Amino acid sequence: MWLSLGVMRRKLRIGAIAAGCWLLAALPGSIRAQQNTLTLQLLARAGQQALTTEDSCTNAAGETFAVRNFRYYLSHIQLAGADGRYYEAAETAAYLADMRDSSSQQIMLTTKGPVQSIRFLLGVDSMANVTGVHTGTLDPAKGMFWTWNSGYIMAKLEGRSPQSTAPGRNFTYHIGGYKTGQQTARWITLPVTATPANRLVLAADILQWFGGSAGVTIASHPVCHEPGPLAVAIADNYTRMFSVVKEGEQQP
Amino acid sequence: MKLRVLLPVLLALIVGGSFIAQYGPRPEITRVPFPQPKGWPKPLYDFKANPLSKEGIELGRRLFYDGRLSKDGNFPCASCHQQFAAFTTFDHNLSHGINNNLTTRNAPGLFNLAWQREFMQDGGVNHLDLQPLAPLTAPNEMGEEIDSVLVKLRTDKRYKKMFAAAFGDTAVTTQRMTRALSQFMLTMVSANSKYDKVMRGEAQFNLPERLGHGIFQQKCVACHPPPLFTDFSYRNIGIPDDPFNSDKGRMKITGKSTDSLSFRVPSLRNVMITAPYGHDGRFFSMIEVMEHYRKRLKVMPATDSLMRKGIPLSNFEIGQLTAFLYTLTDSSFIANPHLAAPADITVPVAADAADHQRVR
Ligand code: HEC
Ligand code: HEC
Repeated sequence: MWLSLGVMRRKLRIGAIAAGCWLLAALPGSIRAQQNTLTLQLLARAGQQALTTEDSCTNAAGETFAVRNFRYYLSHIQLAGADGRYYEAAETAAYLADMRDSSSQQIMLTTKGPVQSIRFLLGVDSMANVTGVHTGTLDPAKGMFWTWNSGYIMAKLEGRSPQSTAPGRNFTYHIGGYKTGQQTARWITLPVTATPANRLVLAADILQWFGGSAGVTIASHPVCHEPGPLAVAIADNYTRMFSVVKEGEQQP
Repeated sequence: MKLRVLLPVLLALIVGGSFIAQYGPRPEITRVPFPQPKGWPKPLYDFKANPLSKEGIELGRRLFYDGRLSKDGNFPCASCHQQFAAFTTFDHNLSHGINNNLTTRNAPGLFNLAWQREFMQDGGVNHLDLQPLAPLTAPNEMGEEIDSVLVKLRTDKRYKKMFAAAFGDTAVTTQRMTRALSQFMLTMVSANSKYDKVMRGEAQFNLPERLGHGIFQQKCVACHPPPLFTDFSYRNIGIPDDPFNSDKGRMKITGKSTDSLSFRVPSLRNVMITAPYGHDGRFFSMIEVMEHYRKRLKVMPATDSLMRKGIPLSNFEIGQLTAFLYTLTDSSFIANPHLAAPADITVPVAADAADHQRVR
């Protein structure tokens, strides 16, 4: 008798899954609980303060403003242990952190032992930018995509400031661009020390978006809505915005 | 002890069952091959990610003709892309969108999209699947939001069935909607004009057409090469900026001043039924295009090196060239019933139909 390869493979797969189930069910519960997970907790901050949509913030240039929207993509989240070798630690290709949605700021990671450093791409990679319409957090319906000049908005910061000269005193930074010379996705690497094994807290400080080598201020640049030199300068700035928060100083 | 044995068996049954439900036999999706014309280059579209199917194409066709994709129900894709005009907007320099708005560019004909790497006349859109999202969300075109279109589709029984038939289950997502639209648009292959028949040895040019073909190969083919009649490059051919509709073209995407007022070389297939011409439809007839090439063009720093002296053309040559361009009209394409509106959909009358009546 001749079994087609596909059917055979399917039978084998079912067999393997059944065996796996048996193992899982038969194993004592204590071993299963040792699955190595780590919760990555993201915090949005303005300097040392928690960022809220109500409070006013002040940047280094002395400009005052309130933020109503702060969102950014994280992808390729990787961890490394003592040997310094990075491995993929996240389940999903990309996460969209939103200051107004606390669940979006908690990411479950899988670890392989004690963690010494974390790295991730702030934004999404070029591949995602050139391969059509994606699903999940990368769905263009999430509003983090330019339809007239294809590409993801890696990070968004929007609000209002008396120093803005744009209509409604708004300032709107939609930072994107993936082509050569316009790249705004940035690798972030942070050493992880003295945090509990199952929890890692990162703060994203929006004040870091300003200043930098281009001297970005709300007065000089209230709007950035396209790939190009200004977007790249702001991306260079936001590269500095993350820091590891030591447990205990979490609620300032 | 008994439980220890039973539990794994039960679990195996559940997992195995769901596995079969997921990967086992399901309602057939009818794959169809891409209608590749003989001797043409390989298409660039990634059919592996979005394989054509009868059901997917049918769904895409309905979406393309359905006014509900626009905010007020009056502006389906087909309101600006009309089949009898090779899917450009018939007799319009600019197209009409929602709330009495005009587009800023002339709608190009839609055909042979599988060979195109970039879309829009500035190349701003990098994938065919992404293209529908631009008009859908533009306040001067369809004025909608992706999420609210998806909600409209999800509450429609027929769409639920069609999405399931095309993609295996009833989920309605941005990706599926745009992939279905792409599947339909990919079947818009225009490769059966008189020119094609001549090339296949099934017909012959008459004398003016043959002379026109010769002139074309001398003076136009550098930018408009067959079989697609475009090399898909972006060039400034000396069309000055219109201060009332300022549009820097390719420069908007690259930010480079060398791309100022550069636009994609358009295909010349079906060109005699897609007037007006140029990215903003400023040339109302073929004669005006020819006049541009031979004397009206304005040389600027970014103007293409091939265009710096214009293209010398005698009246005689213009007549012959035009005769040749007529051979690029594909009448079987614009009459193809598979590309027409589904029988139960009537495309809303163009917003300005009354104006046209008055003129005539
Ligand atoms: C209000 C008129 C209008 C509507 C409605 C409209 N389009 Fe278009 N379409 C245009 C114009 C104008 C362009 C050219 C844009 C440019 O070059 O910047 C275009 C360009 C395109 C292109 C790119 C062609 C090329 O050669 O680059 C495709 C594909 C397309 N439209 C498909 C669609 C689909 C699918 C829909 C419905 C979801 C749609 N259009 C709805 C006016 C419209
Ligand atoms: C240097 C490259 C180049 C050459 C040579 C050239 N064209 Fe073009 N052609 C273009 C570009 C670019 C456009 C689009 C310009 C725009 O939209 O602003 C165009 C547009 C056109 C259009 C308008 C089509 C439409 O749908 O809007 C016609 C017709 C045309 N060309 C015919 C010709 C003919 C006939 C010749 C030879 C006499 C010729 N072209 C030679 C680059 C070229």
